[in-house]
Amino acid sequence: MSAVLIAGGGAVLSVVAELLLGSFPVDIFRFPLNILVVALWFVMIQILYRRRTGNAFARFMLSRRATWLSLGLMATIGIVLGLEREPSTTAWPVVASLLFVLSHLCFVILRGWCNAKGIRWRFCLTHVGLLLALGAGFWGAPDRQQLRMAVHRYPSNEAYTMDGELRPTPYTVELCSFRMEHADNGAPTHYEAEIKVDDKKVMLFVNHPYNRTLSEKIYLVSFGKTLMGETYAVIEIVKEPWQWLSAAGIIMLIAGAVLLFVQGPRKTVSGER
Amino acid sequence: MGWNIFPVWVAIVMMLATAGAVIAALGKSRNVWASALMSLAILGMAGFIAMLWTVLERPPLRTMGETRLWYSFFLLVAGLFTYYRWQYRWIMLFSTVLAGVFIIINIVKPEIHDQTLMPALQSVWFVPHVSVYMFSYSLLGCATLLSTVALVRRSSNMDMAIEKLLYAGLAFLSIGMLTGSLWAKEAWGAYWSWDAKESWAVATWGLYLIAIHLAPSVMNTSRRWMYHTAILLGFLALQMCWYGINYLPSAETSIHTYNQ
Repeated sequence: MSAVLIAGGGAVLSVVAELLLGSFPVDIFRFPLNILVVALWFVMIQILYRRRTGNAFARFMLSRRATWLSLGLMATIGIVLGLEREPSTTAWPVVASLLFVLSHLCFVILRGWCNAKGIRWRFCLTHVGLLLALGAGFWGAPDRQQLRMAVHRYPSNEAYTMDGELRPTPYTVELCSFRMEHADNGAPTHYEAEIKVDDKKVMLFVNHPYNRTLSEKIYLVSFGKTLMGETYAVIEIVKEPWQWLSAAGIIMLIAGAVLLFVQGPRKTVSGER
Repeated sequence: MGWNIFPVWVAIVMMLATAGAVIAALGKSRNVWASALMSLAILGMAGFIAMLWTVLERPPLRTMGETRLWYSFFLLVAGLFTYYRWQYRWIMLFSTVLAGVFIIINIVKPEIHDQTLMPALQSVWFVPHVSVYMFSYSLLGCATLLSTVALVRRSSNMDMAIEKLLYAGLAFLSIGMLTGSLWAKEAWGAYWSWDAKESWAVATWGLYLIAIHLAPSVMNTSRRWMYHTAILLGFLALQMCWYGINYLPSAETSIHTYNQ
């Protein structure tokens, strides 16, 4: 009964919030607010976990039904967003579902941690890996910045957000050279741009970004021609301070998947080992 | 040389595979002739892929037709593996028929144009990402075939085979998805952007994870149909992720449009 109330109540509340308030205000939760909220969220989960015997919500979050619900929510999010032309990733039901999945993962990891007699590598890699990968994407989303810039043969720092808002960069970028190769049918097979970022020359091509800082990468995404017929490069500047947490989570998940294959089912459903 | 000899080449391969599959279905378990003929068919298919790779001067993993070719190849491999490991006499017949369907689609609706490799696909991640995915699809295809039978006829040996195929398939599916996200960061600047293909990949992953997490609770009860249904739904979502999205409006804004 409590499971139905929690799941149903959460679903209704998030739909009502979406109808009344519009999309979830992601930008409010920029650093340092997101760090504070994560810390508060984690402390709350720990308190609830310690009081699990007398708390119906904590008991539900540790149950198999919560696992099925979490995974069902993930599958539902995938199907709904997969059907949308413009996926509304900041819709309240999506945000609420992801928060539920993350919270359930935290509860399960805490239980695994407290009950462990030794390190359960597969459990640890898959669950902590998913928590890091999903959590960094979720909590780090407000800090992510994506800017576009047309790079010409003169220095400029005029970058724009995806909504067309001007956001000057603290450095200048200039195009030094541009080269393109075509296939017989005219389709571009390779293009590269040598650009100067402040005073440093770097070569950019697709799948080969430039790491300006630990949290900022510059990508060559397109090219074009001015009315005068001069080629310019289009670059994307992505600032993602949480990217290393995501990468760590993904690598842990890959290692967990390798163990999933190597070890197979711990105990098969027919009872054989 | 190239796709123009595909019908003749694959006819020989399918004759070998069918002969092996029929011998396996009619004969005893682990029939040497059945395994030998199927191995020859697999080698033939591998030979065609290698020839195509050489002729195209790029990995043949880009177009829909090329991914179907790999899927057919891996289906034969997974069928032989399942037959040899768990001695299902009829599994190679099923996997051969399924591989045959995808081969016939390649002949009737080619989508195998000799397209060059676009810049976004020129990455070290390209071959591992796509081939690992195709291998996982074939393992999960075999698990689905067994699950369909298990819905009406229970056998503990079959349940064990399904679970092992599911674990192996899910492991490769996860590796394919995660290498894709690492590649996406290098190519597009985001590990995950909820593109239509990525969203369906999450749906597929979630459904197979439900099956794995359902197994301990329902497999020895009357609710075991839930486990098999999750596997079937996972396979349906997988079809959507692979080629179904091309028929959805969401494909228009997808960045995964190079495989049409």
